[in-house]
Amino acid sequence: MIRFILVQNRQGKTRLSKWYAPFDDDEKVRIRGEVHRLIAPRDQKHQSNFVEYRNYKVVYRRYAGLFFCLCVDSNDNELAYLEAIHLFVEVLDSFFENVCELDLVFNFYKVYAILDEVFLAGEIEETSKEVVLARLEELEKLE
Amino acid sequence: MASSMRGLTQFIADIRACRVKELEEKRINKEMANIRRQFKDPQLSSYQRKKYVSKLIFVYILGYKVDVGHFEAANLVTSNKYTEKQIGYLAMTLMLHEHSELLLMVVNSIKKDLEENNEYNNCLALHAIANVGSNEMAETLGPSVHRLLISPTSPNFVKKKAALTLLRLYRKYPEVLPVAEWAQRIVSIMDDEDLGVVVSVTSLVMAMAQDNLDAFSVCYQKAVDRLHKLIIDREYAATYSYYRIPTPWLQVKLLRLLQYYPPSMDPTVLDVLQKVIKAILNNSVEVASNVQQNNAQNAILFEAIGLAIHLDASSAMVTDAAELLARFISSKETNVRYLGLDTMAHLAARSDSLYSIKQHQATIINSLRDKDVSVRRRALDLLYSMCDTDNAEIIVGELLRYLKVADYGLREEMVLKIAISTEKFATSYKWYIDTILQLISSAGDHVGEEVWYRVVQITTNTDNLQEYASRAVFEHLRQPQCHESLVKVGGYILGEYGHLVANEPGLSPIEQFQALHSKSPYCSAPTRALLLTTYIKWVNVFPEIKDHLVNVFERYRYVLDAELQQRACEYYALATRPQEELLQQMCEEMPPFPPRGSALLNRLNKKHTDTEDGRVWIIGGKEANEDQFRKGRKATVDTNVTGANGAAATSGGGPDLMSLADLDLNGPTGLMAAKPVLNSSPSIDKWYEKLCMSNDGILYEDNAIQMGVKSEYHGHLGRIALYVGNKMSVPLTAFTASVTGYNPDAVSLTFAKIPSNTIHPKTQAQHVIHIESKKPFEGAPILMISYLAGSLTSINIQLPLLVTKFFEGVTLTQADFFERWKLIGGAPREAQVVFPITLDASGGVDLVKNKKILTGHGFSLLLDVDPNPLNLVGAGVLHTSAAGKVGCLLRLEPNKVAKLCRLTVRSTSEEVAAQVMQAMQKPLSKNSAL
Repeated sequence: MIRFILVQNRQGKTRLSKWYAPFDDDEKVRIRGEVHRLIAPRDQKHQSNFVEYRNYKVVYRRYAGLFFCLCVDSNDNELAYLEAIHLFVEVLDSFFENVCELDLVFNFYKVYAILDEVFLAGEIEETSKEVVLARLEELEKLE
Repeated sequence: MASSMRGLTQFIADIRACRVKELEEKRINKEMANIRRQFKDPQLSSYQRKKYVSKLIFVYILGYKVDVGHFEAANLVTSNKYTEKQIGYLAMTLMLHEHSELLLMVVNSIKKDLEENNEYNNCLALHAIANVGSNEMAETLGPSVHRLLISPTSPNFVKKKAALTLLRLYRKYPEVLPVAEWAQRIVSIMDDEDLGVVVSVTSLVMAMAQDNLDAFSVCYQKAVDRLHKLIIDREYAATYSYYRIPTPWLQVKLLRLLQYYPPSMDPTVLDVLQKVIKAILNNSVEVASNVQQNNAQNAILFEAIGLAIHLDASSAMVTDAAELLARFISSKETNVRYLGLDTMAHLAARSDSLYSIKQHQATIINSLRDKDVSVRRRALDLLYSMCDTDNAEIIVGELLRYLKVADYGLREEMVLKIAISTEKFATSYKWYIDTILQLISSAGDHVGEEVWYRVVQITTNTDNLQEYASRAVFEHLRQPQCHESLVKVGGYILGEYGHLVANEPGLSPIEQFQALHSKSPYCSAPTRALLLTTYIKWVNVFPEIKDHLVNVFERYRYVLDAELQQRACEYYALATRPQEELLQQMCEEMPPFPPRGSALLNRLNKKHTDTEDGRVWIIGGKEANEDQFRKGRKATVDTNVTGANGAAATSGGGPDLMSLADLDLNGPTGLMAAKPVLNSSPSIDKWYEKLCMSNDGILYEDNAIQMGVKSEYHGHLGRIALYVGNKMSVPLTAFTASVTGYNPDAVSLTFAKIPSNTIHPKTQAQHVIHIESKKPFEGAPILMISYLAGSLTSINIQLPLLVTKFFEGVTLTQADFFERWKLIGGAPREAQVVFPITLDASGGVDLVKNKKILTGHGFSLLLDVDPNPLNLVGAGVLHTSAAGKVGCLLRLEPNKVAKLCRLTVRSTSEEVAAQVMQAMQKPLSKNSAL
């Protein structure tokens, strides 16, 4: 299962964090820092998209200046989660029409809503981009 | 979804404009003051409330403490407007911890939204529970969530979210939910048409099935069937294609789910599964140019290889896969190298022969120098797993060399792995001791206590190792630099066995003492305490240096550390006593330690316990994995605890707690499947009895379905065609049929195909079951049918398949009959029963019926054997494949006057005699002719 999802920029500012396992506030701050220091210096070209972290592993991918990180169990299928990140990014990209970091900042509440349509309780919930986008469109119309 | 709020956008823009932290704080404080003031206004509009709560959420996300607005958020949750409700829920789930008392304020609102007939509100409520579901919520809301999941009227989005919400509640509070009871209904949703629903419910099944393998066993067939549909039939909605790969996430989950179960015994299912895996392997031959497609394809490929290894690590398919892996580990793509090494470690963990892996030893050793630490780690795991007596010296040597330059994070684990491999695969004691001491001296701080405990334990238990160990450790102690762990090993070993080498030049007692004692000033108090114990042992065996030793005790009597001081005082008193008996008794050589599991392994395995989706294998060789499976997955935590206690006991030679290590805290893991409850009614019994004596007829019927049977038997083989008709005007979905309640060693039943899961209205589906009788078998198997038509219906009935179905009549003369009858003899190869009968309408014995029953059960009537025309005599032979032919003779003697009947069956097999008697008694005692 996914333990948490972090979206951070290269300076380490967290733009989205979602916790599927209970961590207290201090622990969350610590984890944000640790994950950033673990991921940011890694070489994009010669290193994999996976890195061990505590008893788990972080599967991550960088899109422009943003790192999308999923922390998953040590025996989970890495590539499936790597593509889950991409699916989520594609949904964001279609929804915000060419998403950028600022979209995530100004529309944080929408991003959380989108997240809940793709992942829930630490598992992938919907794997079809079209289905998610149609749903989001439907929800946009509600008052 | 919440449309934009201008005030919020402005606020965010303001904060972004703050160039320094102080300005940001100032702006936030100003806003917080404003919000507090606004919240006091009773006239505050709901739009305003939404806007301010949104601002609070933003402030909270930035990392500031927010102590207002909880009440307002709870208020928003009850709003009629979706956008306001949404912000309310977001605030609750983000800012409140699951144990927060404030959550109690919203439980009722959540319940209301959950039970309302509005899918959007249902979903918001489900999100809330899925995010912060507490124990209390599991109890009060669990059943409602379950209802939303199984309700036929729930929209797909509600079903998906309900499935995952239930998963969250289950993971947190498994005991609150009646999982076994829900199992069948939940599994049936795996047949849903919507793949989004299927992927969500599969996650739920994966979690629940791990703890309830039997209750969820139907999911195996469902998973295989779905994979077949996706991969071979390519049957799926176009929107679920991800870069031309049908929903890779679902495929991966299904392939993993199958690894939780032992390989299926059903040849039909296994055959389909093999086709699926083969197709996946073939698909991977073509390397896609698109990154996404390639990743998705590989995600499935690696999972499929994992499953193939799980099914049979020595199959041809795995050999093919091993070749693929060999290519992967030298791939240009780092991800592929990483996964190749990882999967190879899985192969090493299961394989009987490491040959195919050892061919690539050089590549793997090179991977220890990969640019990526993640790859280096996988290489380490693989080397550890593939280590055996042949290559241990090379691999351990490489690891030791690499240890000096390895990443700090990796060293502790490396030390453990080196220590374990050295111990397990040592070909000579000398090599073991040399390697371990070198390990301790070069890895220093990364050596856990377990490592040196283990050396001591092994040296103590191995007589001919002791001399060499003393010499070797002394050599290390003579070096100017010496790690404290080595001092501990030296202290213990020289104390116990130093006298064995004391006569050798350079190893005299005084030299041993000086070597050890010169390290003492750099050591911590516990190590010095250990050295004091060494010295008292030496007082006993080395009287020539007693003065030096007593001198040390003397000085330590005045140190501040209480433990050291006490030891010194006691040892001083002991050493200066005039009589030496007490000293001698106390310093007897240590007895060997009782054999026990290695604390090192426990320490290593601890790493892998924190996971929701149970590991199907662990890093390490085949042996380690077999142990693991015997214990069962849940067991690892418990054994770790005892292991750790045990290790502590080795150090001071304190009370031996080791016997705990043998305790099996887990109880038996393989729970027997509870026998299913049979449906019963007079009609069901009648249909069944009739079919026991004939091959074709009706098996079951109710308002919804009708089932009929056509069967044929030749020798030891048989075939039942089961016709299932849907009488309703709606389709039957999630149809499952399986047979249970029989001994697979005695009789095998297999469906020719995996039954299709849908039966359209007013149509009939045919399912063929192939049967082979291998040995005489007992009773009749149970046919379990379940289907979804609004709600889940399950029907369990006996399948009319008795051992007598494989009987063939034989004709014997009177003389032959009696000769055999006598040859078989009485009990135990005879079964006899006397039972009351009812007479026919004319007051006589119903001879026609009796004859029909005998022939119906496969006996030939022998008419000229018994002179009494009412008595019947029969003979038959049972065909089996493994036990050959079994002869069976029978006599039926009704007594009209007494209204009793005696049935005697003799057979060369006791079992058959009893089974035949049982099968025939009931129909014979009934009055109406069938």
